[in-house]
Amino acid sequence: MLDGIFTGLSTAVMPFNLMMVVVGCFAGTFIGMLPGLGPISAVALMIPITYGLDPSSGIILMAGVYYGAVFGGSTSSILINAPGCASTVVTSFDGYPLAQQKQAGKALALAAYSSFTGGTIGAIILLFAAPALASVSLSFQSSDYFALMILGLTAVAAFSGKGQVIKALIMTVFGLMIATVGTDTTSGTPRFTFGNIDLIDGISFLLLAMATFALTEVVMTVLKGQHKEKDEQMDMASLGSMKLSREEVKHIAPTVGRSSVFGFLVGVLPGAGATIASFLAYGLERNLASAKEKLKFGKGALRGLAAPESANNAASTGSFVPLLTLGIPGSGTTAIMLGALIAYGIQPGPRLFVDNPDVFWSVIISMYFGNLVLLILNLPLIPYISRLLVIPRPILIPLILFFSITGVYLVSFNSFDIHMMAIITVIAIALKLLEFPMAPMLLGFILGGIMENNLARALVISDGSFDFLWDRPLTLGIVVVAIVVLCIPPLLELVNKRRANKGQATDRGAEAAISEGEG
Amino acid sequence: MNICKDHIGGLIFLLLSVAYGVYAGQIPLLPGDEFEPFHAQTVPNALALLCGGLSIALLLTAERGEGSTLKLHGYDFALVAKLLAQVVLFAFALQWVGFLLATLFFLIGGFWLLGERRIKTLLLASVPFSAGIWLILTQLLDIYLAPGALFNQLFGG
Repeated sequence: MLDGIFTGLSTAVMPFNLMMVVVGCFAGTFIGMLPGLGPISAVALMIPITYGLDPSSGIILMAGVYYGAVFGGSTSSILINAPGCASTVVTSFDGYPLAQQKQAGKALALAAYSSFTGGTIGAIILLFAAPALASVSLSFQSSDYFALMILGLTAVAAFSGKGQVIKALIMTVFGLMIATVGTDTTSGTPRFTFGNIDLIDGISFLLLAMATFALTEVVMTVLKGQHKEKDEQMDMASLGSMKLSREEVKHIAPTVGRSSVFGFLVGVLPGAGATIASFLAYGLERNLASAKEKLKFGKGALRGLAAPESANNAASTGSFVPLLTLGIPGSGTTAIMLGALIAYGIQPGPRLFVDNPDVFWSVIISMYFGNLVLLILNLPLIPYISRLLVIPRPILIPLILFFSITGVYLVSFNSFDIHMMAIITVIAIALKLLEFPMAPMLLGFILGGIMENNLARALVISDGSFDFLWDRPLTLGIVVVAIVVLCIPPLLELVNKRRANKGQATDRGAEAAISEGEG
Repeated sequence: MNICKDHIGGLIFLLLSVAYGVYAGQIPLLPGDEFEPFHAQTVPNALALLCGGLSIALLLTAERGEGSTLKLHGYDFALVAKLLAQVVLFAFALQWVGFLLATLFFLIGGFWLLGERRIKTLLLASVPFSAGIWLILTQLLDIYLAPGALFNQLFGG
């Protein structure tokens, strides 16, 4: 492991890679601050740039953008109560009230320290957990991989939220369907190309990611009329001190420690991600607080700000565990990174640790650098970075649109791709209006090809029988976990519904008894 | 019966799965493939069935609450249509007038559509940016950008 750490360290400290961390963190912070654009959009916008870089530098840049975007989202949550992404919604619960009490500087500093600690604890756990898991998963066979893909896809659907499980599953299948467009890799026959030569190679990952996450998100802000809204001006004069007292540090230290470990564990679960981690950590901290302290939550409690901030950064780090060791992304953002790695010809998964140790370790090491950059460079520069938001939306939106489109065009030099982007954007807008989640679709699309290849191999080895699903205990175990993961949310929903119905019935019974008594 | 978002979504995906299933059946197979455990139609057929089943499940379990109906008030579809039309036009412009002019038209058009009317701002925000990007791509990164069919026809290729 020490060898690996040194390999990673030597790659990560290369001046160009260090520059990538800094540039990534800055770009991510800026994009993350823009309401409506979150880490997924920020990372998607970076893909075309990374195509010109070597794999390590590309992934380091994306990891920096990811961290920066989460941090940028927290900043706009605290300063203007406009979360840049879902994972920083909870930050605004206590961050914005603090800003209103003229303690914005303290809130920003606390968010940065908590993020740094969360990210650092996450990176340290990742340092030990990832190689251990990777060495175990080296014994995986094609049947295990197929089962693992099923687990990854079902987990993303299962964690997609209340009442969204079926929709997320449909979107996953839709992504798998899109992945079948183009020439079949096993037989060489064209599928769903309708005689169009531009579809022979299938739909490119870059095109789909940019159209669904960058273009669609920007167009949605126009659709909702948000481009006419003026950003609330940040009063930088009333930012206040950025220092925390010793008592305050003592007060929040256990919260940060707890939430970091908790966030990391939630982040490791495929599909759970930073949003769920931040909500759960906030809920956990409020439950642990004394009755007197509980009342402060939502009104500017330091613990209420520290918990989600540590958790979401630790979860961002945790989501790299399934990506780097099993090749299954833990979130939408890591799904995009998976696609980028595949485009480089690198297959994330257990072999990554053996075949490309420089990529594996430099990502882990650069995460720590990313956290450091956010703390020592981004925090003091927040007043200046946030000034970039002064650029009027009517100017900013066409520029982002231009970058999304040319990002795709400059890779293929085929204007058909731009037409495809417009069509996919229209479909994505319609699906968003019908409240279908986009991330499972992208995940299905990315994993579709690998899943089909592994299924083909497993079926050929087992002579067309599906016995491979239960022949090996490991495959069976993963399949069982996938089924359990898929069954838990609907069952929980059913139990909650029954409880609510019972509660209503009891209330009605009590009301009837009272009215009878009154009568 | 009220038609809600889940009903619309379920119906769309049900139709999609039927169409996908029909086309999946038309994927050409290699001779002898029908006796193989796995061929080019295997996964598409399974996906069509899966998507159909899930769509029916969505239709059956659709939420019929107050917030579940599709409301399109307050959305500026006309502006979005214009922006997307501009994206398509940008693709055509790239072929005909080349990268530099296409970028310039796209940006000025985009700023204009989104409400910017000051000529000075329109030009200041688009001309230096377009020229800068074009210079970076062609001079710094040495990427060849075709001058456009129109220039080739006018001045010879």
